Formats: sequence, structure tokens, C-alpha cells
Amino acid sequence: MTKNEFLLRLSDALRKRHVPDYSDIVGEYEQHFAFKTADGFSEEEIAAKLGSPEDLAAQFEGGGEEKRQTGRKTVTLVGLVFSDIFAGFFFAFLFAWETVVAAFSVCSAVIGACLLAGRSPWALIPPLPFGCAVVFGISLAALAVFSAAGCVYFALFIRQLMRSYGRFHKNTLASASGGAVLPPLSAFPRLSPQANRRIRTVALAALTLFAVCFVLGIIVSMIAAGALEFWHAWGWFGYVPN
Amino acid sequence: MGVNAQYKKGVLELCVLSLLKRRDCYGYEISDYLSRRIDIADGTVYPILRKLKSEGLVTTYMQEESGGPPRKYYSLTSLGREAYAAQRAEYLEFARAVNALLEEDEHD
Repeated sequence: MTKNEFLLRLSDALRKRHVPDYSDIVGEYEQHFAFKTADGFSEEEIAAKLGSPEDLAAQFEGGGEEKRQTGRKTVTLVGLVFSDIFAGFFFAFLFAWETVVAAFSVCSAVIGACLLAGRSPWALIPPLPFGCAVVFGISLAALAVFSAAGCVYFALFIRQLMRSYGRFHKNTLASASGGAVLPPLSAFPRLSPQANRRIRTVALAALTLFAVCFVLGIIVSMIAAGALEFWHAWGWFGYVPN
Repeated sequence: MGVNAQYKKGVLELCVLSLLKRRDCYGYEISDYLSRRIDIADGTVYPILRKLKSEGLVTTYMQEESGGPPRKYYSLTSLGREAYAAQRAEYLEFARAVNALLEEDEHD
């Protein structure tokens, strides 16, 4: 078989099987002939080593399988749309929670800073002796750090969950259309052991500091006010002592 | 195509991915390299390249060569990289198990 015979039979067979861009494929084989000829092979030898053009054309056919699965693909697509809507709500909820935690962390930090600086913008912070304010201030600063650490981990968690869902989405589509499926992704963020340990250490230390300082603040305030219900003694929450 | 040819084709796909992971190649380069090492018909690599492209595991681009027509180069996508890593691990595990099984038979 000469080069022209081979290419002609190949393009005929490809067209018969409705393979798209068949001229592109024929071009690839034409180049193969060009390279081999340059290496000193005859056209007959090259064609024999390539294999039968009809067999090769059959290997390019992949459309038949897709056509058979159209029905299944539609069902998968509809299911995927519903699953996307549900996941959308779920992610909106997760983002809302992330925002709440972040806002909480910022508020704690601001109030803690005000207490430590001995300031009360717009008289938002009820009056209390500076010593007690410092202890509560440290406690709130620790709370801010604790919630910030939680915020960071939660953000990583949401990101990983979205990537995992994205992979599921892509795989479902791919398997419905007979494409390549990739391994699923874990729903939990995989941090390096060091990063994991660091976040955990910071969170635990901040939580402990918060708890200790909070209790200490209450005790110090009780002593300073000379009353168990120190908030009454200092006239907090609109309560006027007699 | 017989079962044997089917089987070979799956493994060839892995070989093509492995080659492309090292560097971008043009079609003939891959066909030549593989047919020197593995007993296959020269033509079978092109359908595999086409399949990998339609699955999004490789992309193509044209590059001008000195003194010749532009060549179509194949390059691994990030999807292809990931798929290769997974398939490679799977194959090596499989091959190890088969080897162990076949070697046991020598001692009988």
C-alpha cells in the first residue's frame, strides 16, 4: 500500500464512521509518513507498520457510546441542577456562619482594646475600675484570637468542601458523558501536621486565657465592688443603686 | 479488537501520559518512542492521543520548526497530571500484585 492509498482509505473509513475533524487525523498520519520517509523507510513498510486504516478508523470512533447514553445524561443533568441548588443554600448558610464568627471576633477585639485602653466610645462600656477593665480586656482579646482561629479553620473547611463538591459535580458530568473520572476529594481540609498543631495550640491557649481571665475578672470585680452582684453596685444595665 | 489489544491500549494510555509528563511532545515522537519499546502497530498511538484530548487530559498547540511545517505538540493539562498520578499508582499496585502471584507459581 502506498502513502496515498493508505491516507485515502483512512479518510474514507473515518468519514463513514462520522468521526469529527477527520482531515486533522489524516494530517497526523501524513506527518508520520513524512518523518518515517526521512528515516529511510519505504511507503510500503511504513503503511504495513501503521496497521490497517479501517482498524485505525474504528479506534477513533467514540461517538456511538455517547449517543446511547443521552437519556441517562439528561436525568443526571436534572439531578445535578437540584443538587446544585441545595448545595448553594448550604454554602450560603456556611458563609453566613463564617461572617458571624468573623464579626464576633472583630467585636471582641475592639471591645478588648477599648477596655485595655480605658476608653468607652459613646459610653457603650459600663463604668468599672481600670484594674478590672484590664483583666476583662485581656479575656476579650483572647476570645478574639480564639474566634479568629476558628474563623480561619472554618474558612479552610468551606473552601475544601466547595472544591470537593466541585469535583463531585465534574465527575458526575464526566461519567454521564463517558469521560474521564478523577478521584474524589476529601471534604475536610488536609493541613500539614505543623499547621494543624499551630492552629490547635493557638486556639487552646486563647480559650484557656479567656476562661481564666473571665473568671478572674469577675472575682476581682466582686472584691472591688464589695458585692457579689457587682454590676448592681456599679449601676450597670440601667440599674440605679438605692 | 481482541481483549489483549484492549488491555494494551489501556496501558499505552498510561505510557503516553508518562511521556508527556516529562515534556511536551509531537505525535510522531510519541509513536516512535513507544513502538521502539513496546510491540504495537505504529498507528495506534494517534487514536489514544485523540481520546486523551477529548477527555481534557491533554491539550495541543502548533509550533513552527526550522525548515519544516509547524508541528502539533501535545501537552498535559492539570487534569491530565492528576489523572496520571492516580492511574500510575493504581497500575503499579496492580502490577506488583500480579508479579507476586506469578512468582509464587515458580516455587510449586
